[in-house]
Amino acid sequence: MVSTRSVSVAPGSLTPNDFPWIIEHREDRCTLCGNCTSVCPKEAIRLAYRRQRLPRLDILSTKRGSEYRTFTGIRQETAIANACIGCGMCAMVCPNEAIMPAPNTNEHRTLFFNNQKGEPQKRGGRRNVSGPNLLDRIVFNRISMLTDPALDAGRHEFNLTTTLGRILPPEDFLDRIQHGGWIPPTREIFPFVIGSMSFGALSPNMWLGLLQGVAYCNEVLGIPVVMCTGEGGCPPWVLRSPYLKYIVLQIASGYFGWDEIIRAIPEMQCDPAAIEIKYGQGAKPGDGGLLMWHKVSKLIARLRGVPESVDLPSPPVHQTLYSIEESVMKMVQTMSTAFGHKVPVYPKISASTSAKAVLNNLVRNPYAAGLLIDGIDGGTGAAYNISMDATGNPIASCVRECYLDLVAQGRQNEIPIFAAGGVGKNGNIAQNGMALIMLGASGVHVGKYIMQAAAGCLGNEKGRCNVCNLGICPKGITSQNPKLYRRLDPDLVADRVAEVFMAIRTEVKKIMAPLGRSQSLPVGMSDAIGIADRDAADLLKINYVC
Amino acid sequence: MEFERMVREAAVTSSSLLLESYGQHNIGIRLQREGGLHLQVNGPSGQRLGCMGMPGTTILCKGPTSDDVGYLNIGAEITVLGDATNGACNAMANGKVYIGGSIGSRGLTMTKWNPEYDKPQLWVLGSTGDSFAEFNCGGIAVVCGVNPKNPDNILGYRPCVGMVGGLIYFRGPIDDSYPRTNARLDQPNDQQWQWLVENMPVYLGKIGRADLFSTLTRRDEWRILATVTPQERALMFSGPMPMAEFRNQFWNKAFGGGDPLRDLAPGLDRSVIETIVTGDLRRRQPYWANSEAAAPCTFYCPIHIPTVERLRLIREGRIDEAYEMLLRYTPLPASVCGAVCPNLCMENCSRRGVDGPIEIQILGRAVGNFPAPTPAESLGKKVAVIGGGPAGMNVAWQLALAGVEAHIFEKDGRIGGKLAQVIPWERLSQAIWDVEIKRFLAMPNIKVHLNVDMDKEQFAGLERDYDYVVIAVGAHEPRRIPFPGHERVITALDFLKKAKSETPMAVGREVVVIGAGNVGCDVACEAYRLGAEKVTLIDIQKPLAFGKEKEAAEAHGAVFRWPVVTKEVTPIGVVTDSGELIPAQTTIISIGDVPALPFLPETIETMSVGGAAWITTDQAHVTSNARILAVGDVEKPGLATNALGAGKTAAEYIIADIKGEKWQPFTKPLIPHKALTITHYFPGDSGPTESDQADRCLSCASCRDCHLCETICPTGAISRREIEPGGSDRLLARQKTFEYVSDDNKCIACGFCADTCPCGIWTMNAF
Repeated sequence: MVSTRSVSVAPGSLTPNDFPWIIEHREDRCTLCGNCTSVCPKEAIRLAYRRQRLPRLDILSTKRGSEYRTFTGIRQETAIANACIGCGMCAMVCPNEAIMPAPNTNEHRTLFFNNQKGEPQKRGGRRNVSGPNLLDRIVFNRISMLTDPALDAGRHEFNLTTTLGRILPPEDFLDRIQHGGWIPPTREIFPFVIGSMSFGALSPNMWLGLLQGVAYCNEVLGIPVVMCTGEGGCPPWVLRSPYLKYIVLQIASGYFGWDEIIRAIPEMQCDPAAIEIKYGQGAKPGDGGLLMWHKVSKLIARLRGVPESVDLPSPPVHQTLYSIEESVMKMVQTMSTAFGHKVPVYPKISASTSAKAVLNNLVRNPYAAGLLIDGIDGGTGAAYNISMDATGNPIASCVRECYLDLVAQGRQNEIPIFAAGGVGKNGNIAQNGMALIMLGASGVHVGKYIMQAAAGCLGNEKGRCNVCNLGICPKGITSQNPKLYRRLDPDLVADRVAEVFMAIRTEVKKIMAPLGRSQSLPVGMSDAIGIADRDAADLLKINYVC
Repeated sequence: MEFERMVREAAVTSSSLLLESYGQHNIGIRLQREGGLHLQVNGPSGQRLGCMGMPGTTILCKGPTSDDVGYLNIGAEITVLGDATNGACNAMANGKVYIGGSIGSRGLTMTKWNPEYDKPQLWVLGSTGDSFAEFNCGGIAVVCGVNPKNPDNILGYRPCVGMVGGLIYFRGPIDDSYPRTNARLDQPNDQQWQWLVENMPVYLGKIGRADLFSTLTRRDEWRILATVTPQERALMFSGPMPMAEFRNQFWNKAFGGGDPLRDLAPGLDRSVIETIVTGDLRRRQPYWANSEAAAPCTFYCPIHIPTVERLRLIREGRIDEAYEMLLRYTPLPASVCGAVCPNLCMENCSRRGVDGPIEIQILGRAVGNFPAPTPAESLGKKVAVIGGGPAGMNVAWQLALAGVEAHIFEKDGRIGGKLAQVIPWERLSQAIWDVEIKRFLAMPNIKVHLNVDMDKEQFAGLERDYDYVVIAVGAHEPRRIPFPGHERVITALDFLKKAKSETPMAVGREVVVIGAGNVGCDVACEAYRLGAEKVTLIDIQKPLAFGKEKEAAEAHGAVFRWPVVTKEVTPIGVVTDSGELIPAQTTIISIGDVPALPFLPETIETMSVGGAAWITTDQAHVTSNARILAVGDVEKPGLATNALGAGKTAAEYIIADIKGEKWQPFTKPLIPHKALTITHYFPGDSGPTESDQADRCLSCASCRDCHLCETICPTGAISRREIEPGGSDRLLARQKTFEYVSDDNKCIACGFCADTCPCGIWTMNAF
């Protein structure tokens, strides 16, 4: 007798085959050690007991009936809340290679059920579009052969810094020097900046590991890398440390942690590298920051000056600012004044068809030290999927149009444009960055690539992991739970930051040497790049090659 | 070209040539003569002097020379008494170049060393320019630092970039700009020093400065830049300083010598941990939640009979204890559990996921003849129970067992309420019933007063004379509908009561039952028993009848019709609102009964529903008067089991109140089916005995001591521990004779125990 009890099937009932990641488990290899279920961040897998019926099917025997056997296996849960995210931690801790998540090559029906309780899907990561992006397809094709002296990336010395800050036209500069006028502050920095990831979005071990790596790059390797805090404030000891000079302090519409910053100003040993005023973010244009309650630990609450375990959405706009003119007048000047007009202050905006309007306003404002434009492929710790996947503008054409606008005004050497959003998305960090620089950016901001390269972030654009918002990061990068973030060794993060920037430095030289450039970055050197895409070439006003 | 042709021709005839040059390039290119050739260049020399120089050829340039002296030299000895400009010895593979002055930038670049030949040598009296010895592969250089062009830095900026072989001797200050991954600064060792001292006179002789010998042989003034091999380089950290050293030497100090978060989070431990962890570092923790949730049988049973425990006792051979336990929950196990109850326990039994439910009726019937438990010592209180149906009986039974005197005041001539009065004997065997009633009446603390027609006066008396009054009169007022001819209609209650009496009513050949619930089914069955040939049950909605009652009615041939609305009842049948006549000589209405409460004081709150008053009670069945309780159908219509359950709860409240204890309602949550692991059980035939059923029980929410958790635990964290029985509650004391514990220091929180546990005891809690 076998139960014929019917199984209720609801509209949202799912089978493992409906999920984006399917756990493949080999019972013949499994040693039942428990590591996989122990490590799984989503409690997506469990030890399952299965019953098998073995009917007696001997036609010549009169004895009928069935025997049964029980066997075990690791199986995945089929509740949306426990959906496998494909992080692969199970495979990482399995001693026998008995288990791994495999991507579902069929359509997966969880797409239709990610909106539980009327709440659309929120996640971390970036736009889930994989494959080469436009930047990946740009080639550097102006090679110095016999026409001009070729440079040797390994032997020649290169000046790879870029200028962050306002450059006065020579006549203005000389005039102010003579008459004791204000010279806007500038910084010579490495053109690859660690983009804004807040203390809160990142775990303490990750954030401090990055800063330690940045300090190492500057002090030991001589690579003047700077990193941006994001809008979570900055630990007071760091504000009072000599490493503040490697930090871009961000102020955003949430204003988190700024009381500590203002309090620390009189005790600062040095000025910060710059102040970034965030008006927008490429990953989620029109949305402010979002730190979900899972991540607002006691420590984060203390630093940000908020209650524990509450959602911290930042408004999409700064609450009392209604126009770009007002923003620049109020915030850029206020920030510049607060730091004695000695620190560059620049806004960060989402890439948009309106970016040129912002830029032109900044051009007219003597306090604006630059503009950071963040494109659609930028990452975030938490946003609605719709914002990440479908909202925003790609960075390449936006930067290009802005730069050419400056060129038309003859102001391209006065106000730097920084670009962000998908730089290194497919691992081609130096290539992507240098392509943007040759399109007109003075430098690039990089976030996700740094998490991937420095800390082993498992996320990708095929929906893998992407649970930064939940605070359950299996690598401890974006978690505020010490049981998770203590998995991450800040020394190893710092080591990887150093290795990454050493490698970027070498690759940048490898790109610049054949161009015959060694003493200044090829900002806007668009005659040196080409693309095998006629439309892109036309739009970007670069060479079409094939 | 002309000059070169002249030199080449002259070299054929003479082994020593004196050249008056005017800045020609490539002087001495690839010139060789058997027995040797000597060239002396008197005039200005152009670029690439001694270019591709051959072994045996010596060149002496009396003045300075231009770029690339000794370019691709493979053996010539070239002496320049003055300075040489850029690129000296570029790609030289063999031979010697002696410079009496200094050289320009990029000297000794790209040299080669063929092991068949000696290493090429470059001697410089003064200093070198920038980028010296780049990609040097075999060249040995000696830079003496005498009258250098730059006295502060005699090797120029960034020497030895990409150097993979060779050796640089030098004397004088340098700017330390050589790459550490290519060259290593050192003192010459004995062998190297000996080579330098031995070869120095030759060089000084060539440039005519033998006077400098003692100046240039003070060993402590000389240093070397030696090649770093790839093997050595691989052992070096790719950066110049190990990260741990950086952290200790610089990072920590930048924050005043401590963690940069120590002010924000004092005592925060950020040290690195493993991925698979034990103890407090786990994110989950197993918890042995034995008996903390309720099995579905217990949860859904209105009396909350712990069937799982009963079956465990049977499995353990403690039959008497199992029977006694059941009797502590109900005085009518055989009649109700074993017969009339629709068995919600079985309806929800987890075993249905394997094959079929535990057959509870076997268990109920088994207790029919078992003697009642011994009552506790008297608590010196007495309670009046109005109504001797199942609700009132269980109130009295529970009170009696607890040592409270219970007086039942029954309107009828016998106790049992509708069970006795209306349930057909077909469904409740009289033999079973009589035995259980006998057992009930024998209970010492129970006094039964029959044929008491309660009125307000008597009620006031009870309220005065008893500690508590419990109203359990049930619903004995049939509901009717005033359609035309309603006076011809018999009520189900009257019909069934009569049917069970000595003088049943006569029924016609055709019978219509208005209202097709389970009581309607009983009516149909009795009608057939009393001679009806065709019974039609009609209802205005889908009939609510279910289970045994419906099956019995259908077995007799009863027909269910719906939706049918009665318009009129005539002597020949029921006329529906559509005008159809359903023939019937007897029409019986079965649409429920309502309480009759003429004795109830106005102070007791009631609620009117459907034209009748029902007594309002709280969770403990207490009415608006704290000493008056109400149980059973007077609260709301229900099953016999509901009445028994209400009676038990009310009695427990009274007992707790008497003892001054806080009454505890049944609050155990239902164990989720998902928590169980039913695949440990195989489908099989169900046997007829109690012990067959006991073996089939999945023991939901109650540990069955199977050791599977102990077995599956991959780290050996789980063990079984005997514990001393304790506590006053006998049942509890029995349950707690053992426990399973997980050792926090071994457990990795894999959850296998919870995934394995057949009973759903182990749960994983976040922590």
